[in-house]
Amino acid sequence: MLEFQSASLSYGATVALDSIDLTIRSGEQVCLIGPSGAGKSSLLGLCNGRVPATSGKVVLNDQNLGELKGKALKEVRSGIAWVPQDLGLIPNLRVSQNVACGLAARKGFWGLMRSLLLMGKAEKERVSGLLKRVGIEEKIFSRVDHLSGGQRQRVAIARALYQEPQMILADEPVSAVDPERAKSLVELLTTIAREEKMTLVMSLHDVDLAQRYFDRVIGMRAGRVVLDGSPDDAGVKELYRLDQ
Amino acid sequence: MRRRWFFLGAIALFFWGLWVLEVRPGQLIPSEGGREAAGDFLSAAFQPALDYEELDMRGGEVSFLGKIGKALWLTVRYAVVAMSLAFVIGVIGGVLGSRAWWSKPNLFLQVLRIGTRLLATAIRSVHELMWALLFLSAVGTSPLVAILAMALPYGGTLAKVFSELLDESESSAGAVIRASGGSGTTAFFAGVVTKALPDLATYALYRLECAVRSSAVLGFVGIPTIGYEIKTAYEDGHYHEIWSYVYALLIVVVLFEAWGAKVRGLLTKGTPSRVGEEKGQSLSELWQGRGRSWFLRFSVATLTVGIAAGWMAEDRWGAGVGWEQREKNLDRFTDEMVPYPVREADGDWSVFGSWFSEKMSDGGAVALWRTFHVGTTAILLAGGLSLIGILFAARTLAASNPRGVRDGGSKIRGLLGMFLRGASMLARAMPEYILAFLLLRVFGPTYWVLIFALAIHNGGILLRLGAEVIDNTKSQASEVILAQGGNRSSAYLAAMMPAGFNRLVLFLFYRWESCIREATVLGMLGVASLGFLISDAKVAFFYDEMILWVGLGAALVFVGDLTSDFVRGKLRTVE
Repeated sequence: MLEFQSASLSYGATVALDSIDLTIRSGEQVCLIGPSGAGKSSLLGLCNGRVPATSGKVVLNDQNLGELKGKALKEVRSGIAWVPQDLGLIPNLRVSQNVACGLAARKGFWGLMRSLLLMGKAEKERVSGLLKRVGIEEKIFSRVDHLSGGQRQRVAIARALYQEPQMILADEPVSAVDPERAKSLVELLTTIAREEKMTLVMSLHDVDLAQRYFDRVIGMRAGRVVLDGSPDDAGVKELYRLDQ
Repeated sequence: MRRRWFFLGAIALFFWGLWVLEVRPGQLIPSEGGREAAGDFLSAAFQPALDYEELDMRGGEVSFLGKIGKALWLTVRYAVVAMSLAFVIGVIGGVLGSRAWWSKPNLFLQVLRIGTRLLATAIRSVHELMWALLFLSAVGTSPLVAILAMALPYGGTLAKVFSELLDESESSAGAVIRASGGSGTTAFFAGVVTKALPDLATYALYRLECAVRSSAVLGFVGIPTIGYEIKTAYEDGHYHEIWSYVYALLIVVVLFEAWGAKVRGLLTKGTPSRVGEEKGQSLSELWQGRGRSWFLRFSVATLTVGIAAGWMAEDRWGAGVGWEQREKNLDRFTDEMVPYPVREADGDWSVFGSWFSEKMSDGGAVALWRTFHVGTTAILLAGGLSLIGILFAARTLAASNPRGVRDGGSKIRGLLGMFLRGASMLARAMPEYILAFLLLRVFGPTYWVLIFALAIHNGGILLRLGAEVIDNTKSQASEVILAQGGNRSSAYLAAMMPAGFNRLVLFLFYRWESCIREATVLGMLGVASLGFLISDAKVAFFYDEMILWVGLGAALVFVGDLTSDFVRGKLRTVE
């Protein structure tokens, strides 16, 4: 369970998040919506302790993320996968090597270097299985910069899954693809997260996708939560309309 | 408006430089005796020697072609071995100097990082020829001197550029690894270094091409590379042999450049898979058909073997003079590198100031000033000529349908473009020092020679880079001009050059720092500038003066480097 207790985040005089109180239960599929600058990425940054709250607390399974350091913080992070907006892939490496980076915490430095240089047969098979699940198993040995935008997003999802996380944080991962591809990717990610009973927190601009695939929609504006409810909530469309 | 001021400033600086250097067009006409010698020298270019010019030389153990081969082998070997050492220096310095490595630095680590970068810049500010002279003076001749003389400045250059490339490669890939619990070291190597790898390898290969040229030039201070054979052939009056060595060197450098370009392309773009990558294929089928380049593998293997062979082929790295003599040389050098009045005053450094002032007013300041102007005037000439050349050399302008607009013009322009691109390749391949050495034979000891040598080499580089900029610049305005009946010159001057202007200026500054660096040593050929003072002091065994002039040259290059870095940084932010 992830709890925000009056969590605020400021960058100098700029307030990115203003006293957020939220609880996200394990296995929940949560979508963050709101205009650019609403604080969605900042909220995701607090979820895995990438950014510490300037006041208040973010508590994950009874552990205050702001107080964790060193090994303990790494331990917690190894259970949370993050898919940033630009996907964070290494373009000149093969798909298999990029996916292997998902296990950086467990493998350690030398283990990861070994995977990058001489990946064993068993690991190749595991990676291949994951890629099959996201629909691009035939691209396992392609360089990432030879792939289309949609295929790259699937690689980023496979890397997140390889980590075997309890929670996936995805920051507008479909912002750079056409609506049809965006739909299939969101469907894929939510389906896998449900099957694996993972918590999924994803920020999106598309309110239709939010309503269609998620259990819960959180609307944000100017660093505050302005809506928190089920996808069928009438306020969701209202928020969307006001933002246009 | 800014462009106009830039051009006016550049023209003013160019003519100011000519005035400071007191050069006149009349100096380009050799005297009658000089004309004859220059004629003999130039005509020999069309008849390079295939055998020794003097019959009694044929009795030697090695044929002339064998001698060329041996000189080339040594040139390439010293370059490869020196680069392998420079690469290690570059990697260590590059990582320590990179912001990406120190994710959350405290004040001490910040100082360490900036200190590493400044040290790298300082080491590269001393030209490899100067390092060679310093080592030769300190310990005497040996193959190791050649290696160290190249490895130090090249290591400094690699460290500086590597740290910049690593910083540019910092991206969310490393952040994702850290965010998923990976350590900072793992995130740096897996997320930053792997991403930067093609750029790091590309730059190292480019420096290897430069090292081959530098290795040749080291021959002029007694290292047995091809430059040594060129110098000896000149001293013996064997002009035909000189050209044979020059052509052989050109062929090797051009081959290195072509090989480097092919490897760079493969590293950057990768190789597509050889199978259709269809669903249902087994893992082993996909693995067998993965994109891989045999050329790249062969190149890596050859380079590895080449480095190992380069180190192992020399069984006497310290050869030349005995160790006892070396110790004596080193003692003398370290004693005498202390300024003479300081030595006389039993180590009292308070007298240094008056000695320094005396040396500066006794020719040092003038030499420094002239060295600056040689480099600056040369790069402005190179820039001006390349701006004109780009109009004919850029592929998109030289094509029969410029910028895709049907023109129906003759093919002469295309041929001229090909000729210019070929000429620029040869100009790039020829080391400035050897070019100046050859031009001295034609024009005699005048500053024109230094300016021309630098301008030809750097003009070749700027022409290539500039033509690529123009070819890659998206400019619909140029297409409109051409479609409305305008000619290529109008499209180039009115649309394409303004669009690519910042990048062209960026390259000009990048080469300016290199010109200043080269200008500090060209005087060693006998034209009064810093290099002249250095070789003069070396011949007279005035090590204190030698160190002073080397230090001044390094300071000039250091300031030039920082200025160029600053201007290029500004230009990048404007872009």
